[in-house]
Amino acid sequence: MTDQQVVAHPDVAAEFTELASDERIAKAAAALERNGIRPLLAATGADARALVGSLLTDGAEVYNNTSRTLEAIGVADDIERSGRYQPLRLRLYRMDREMQAREMRTLAASPDYVVGSVHALTEDGSLLIASASGSQLGPLVSGAGHVILVIGAQKIVGDVATGMRRIHEYCYPLEDARARRAYGVPSGVNNILIINKVIIPGRVTAIIVSERLGF
Amino acid sequence: MSMFDYDARPVTPGVVLVGTRASRGAYAIRDFLSRNGYPFEWVDLDRADAVAAVLAGAGAEPAALPLCILPDGSRLPSATVEQVAAGLGMIAAPSRSEYDLMIIGAGLAGLAAAVNAASEGLRTVVVEAVAPGGQAGTTSMIENLLGFPNGISGSELATRATVQARRFGAELLLARPLVGVSADGPGYVAELSDGTLIRGRAVLFASGVEWRRLDVPGVDDLLGAGVYYGAGPSEALACTDSRVVVVGGGNSAGQAVVRFSRYAQQVTLLVRGHDLGSSMSQYLIDQVTAIPNVDVRVHTQVVGVEADDRLGAVIVRSGDSTERVPLPTDALFICIGGTPRTDGAAGSGLITNTAGYVVTGSDVAREPGSDWPLPREPLPLETNLPGVLAAGDVRLGSVKRCAAAIGEGSMAVALVHRRLAEVGGD
Repeated sequence: MTDQQVVAHPDVAAEFTELASDERIAKAAAALERNGIRPLLAATGADARALVGSLLTDGAEVYNNTSRTLEAIGVADDIERSGRYQPLRLRLYRMDREMQAREMRTLAASPDYVVGSVHALTEDGSLLIASASGSQLGPLVSGAGHVILVIGAQKIVGDVATGMRRIHEYCYPLEDARARRAYGVPSGVNNILIINKVIIPGRVTAIIVSERLGF
Repeated sequence: MSMFDYDARPVTPGVVLVGTRASRGAYAIRDFLSRNGYPFEWVDLDRADAVAAVLAGAGAEPAALPLCILPDGSRLPSATVEQVAAGLGMIAAPSRSEYDLMIIGAGLAGLAAAVNAASEGLRTVVVEAVAPGGQAGTTSMIENLLGFPNGISGSELATRATVQARRFGAELLLARPLVGVSADGPGYVAELSDGTLIRGRAVLFASGVEWRRLDVPGVDDLLGAGVYYGAGPSEALACTDSRVVVVGGGNSAGQAVVRFSRYAQQVTLLVRGHDLGSSMSQYLIDQVTAIPNVDVRVHTQVVGVEADDRLGAVIVRSGDSTERVPLPTDALFICIGGTPRTDGAAGSGLITNTAGYVVTGSDVAREPGSDWPLPREPLPLETNLPGVLAAGDVRLGSVKRCAAAIGEGSMAVALVHRRLAEVGGD
């Protein structure tokens, strides 16, 4: 990846912003279940927000990944502001980045819950997540006790190859622009996690929302 | 899903605080938010570009500073700590009409007492004037606390203890200092600064100490404008590439030096005594003396300051010399021990020594006028007021270490049980 800002081609955007049909959603959900990932369906973002609230335990350490989806439906606010949980972002915020790097690393690596989204969900039940720093990936794979992923139905793709194309051709340009605006630095597809199967029953929950959420 | 989790900062809006760096009121709010772990963006009015970006041209009248913008968008002109705390919903009323144990202060002693008391089923409330953690809460790294081989920061320790206390059911009432305590039957009633009344069958003073003032002309006029008491966690980043002076010879001063050396161009530690060994732990002495950008000057004291609207230099005098030498300084952190915080107990009859430390246990009988009313002797941490105990730094004879404060706070709960059994109902 170069540091130059890229904008998704309109045709690419059209391909990856179209909501999946109910049949494709059902197919992806069934495949997730076969792969050890608990699928839940939500008609709206508000329904998904309520589902997340019902899954999180009061008082738990919760890390909300940076996610336009979570911000859009109010889940980020619930986690950081409701007082129901221990929001790890607030705890990490107060730490001295020079003196407490070790504490920050261990705290962020193993929350009770990590709540986030994905960049693509394939019809055969694989989840694709890209990360510039990689910091979000460890807890998703094994560090977090529970993983809750909220997925707008426009992210459903036919296969892993298409999912990879979605990341590179559609998500990356948008994310790069966001990172430059928000942080003054470029983003990058530096790490990609593909979850094909989950061994621990009930550890990962994927909420598929029949709305266009995030990118 | 974003690809970039930049710095793990909160993603929802925090507080925006606009003011001048020389403002004492703005510093008080920065310190309050920082110590309570509340995210905020500080906008220095001296930087017009930053102000324009945040306020989008709306401007900020100098008379209305510091201006605090809350996450819901509401604005608090000429904001105070109390207004900010209320605006953020940090002010809670007590949920019970009476508690078994009322703890004054949420430093390590108070939090240890809260965890132990609540875990044993006592109805427990903690009253804290500023933020959980007390003096230790601003400590950047505690390396000699049992069970933390890699050290733990004071703020993280306080956060964990607060979570633990709340999990057991203890209530924490923050951001309001105690203004009075008086007898109420066999128990006591406390009044907070906002008029809230709390009844407790037993009371534990764990109110700790506040930093002792440096008695040098002009210093307190610069509070928040280059002069800070304690390690000033909200100011660490602002010290990047600056010249920092820390005054003090104890562990707090040593920990402040280690922290600021990571950011500052140069840190000078001024110690009045002849060496560090008499008051600082050896592990900290080893660290402080090994850091290249740290200069330790023993037998040296601050005798003056130079400033315009901000601190420019401290004037020091070394050894027996009468020469006053200016030391260019951007930030002065004063960590010279503490003064016991017992203001709220004035008028209650609580006996303190001349320095203000609370007298407990067998020392009570030796105090003239203690007038101990019970046939039994005072319990080990009990004051001259039956059922009122003291633990941690505020107590006369306490060891000024984190582990000691935690130990005393925990031990106090066993004594509270004895007192409650005495008055019935335990």
